[in-house]
Amino acid sequence: MVTKRRAGRSPEAYLPLPPATFHSLLALADGELHGYAIMKGVAARSEGTVRLGPGTLYGSLKRLLQAGLVEERGERADPERGDERRRYYRLTPHGLSVARAEARRLDAMVRAARRKKLIGVRSV
Amino acid sequence: MSAERIYRLLLRAYPPEFRAEYGREMVLLFRDQCRESDLRTLGFWARVLWDVARSAPALRLDAWRARASENTQTSEVIMKLAAMLTLLLGGVIGILNAVVEWVAATKQTITGTHELSLVLGVFASALLLAAGVAMLNQTPRGRQAARLAVLASLVMIVAARLLHPWMSYFSQLVGFGLPVALLIALYWPRRPSLAGAA
Repeated sequence: MVTKRRAGRSPEAYLPLPPATFHSLLALADGELHGYAIMKGVAARSEGTVRLGPGTLYGSLKRLLQAGLVEERGERADPERGDERRRYYRLTPHGLSVARAEARRLDAMVRAARRKKLIGVRSV
Repeated sequence: MSAERIYRLLLRAYPPEFRAEYGREMVLLFRDQCRESDLRTLGFWARVLWDVARSAPALRLDAWRARASENTQTSEVIMKLAAMLTLLLGGVIGILNAVVEWVAATKQTITGTHELSLVLGVFASALLLAAGVAMLNQTPRGRQAARLAVLASLVMIVAARLLHPWMSYFSQLVGFGLPVALLIALYWPRRPSLAGAA
């Protein structure tokens, strides 16, 4: 059983998030998902650049559960994937705040890169 | 041997507690991957091996750290004992030892460097005494103050040893051994981060 830590840290204290962690949080922003759905969501959203294997995915989920950013929502079967019961996960309000803080951080970086004309201009 | 059986063998690379918690889910996910991949390709197995190789050592390290700081109460008691030992050995006995060496030295002809090394020894012991007091106050600021005091004490004792190579074994043991042991205890990691293999 994962021991949940007190959610006393500010969202900014977790930044910057490792890419796979941020992708997992983004996938869970859609709602409750099981491991395989998170993996597929991450691969689709990153256009195949981030591929999570079972070890990386569940290692990341374990840390997110411990930090109180994600919570378990019990086990049930996914009708699309057979009768086997799967564990579902969802974002906590604290996890959502951390994902928003990371998105703001990345947005600020992209805006800075645009101001420096590193992106958003046609290469000659 | 089936692909799932091979994967179950690979799962042994993970810590037992992690396997017990997520092993079944990982096998289910692997089964899903197998349904949508060509198991005969080298690429598939390279990805599986890469996933195990990058995540298992990080999780082993996490498990080892968790075991090390499992019982906070025990570690707090150990820190209190270390603080008291520092007060007794480093502070009180250290200062007494320096005074005894000082008195013994004054009976002979004492050089300037010898005198300076004794003064440094007294200051180093006083700093260890301060570190012990700071450690008894078990707050992050107390720990930070203790770290600074121990580092300063170590620097002083190194300087004293360079000035006075005939320093007694007791002074060397207390002067070098105690600060190094305390620094290890004070810098011991306590809070795992989100960064791992992810």
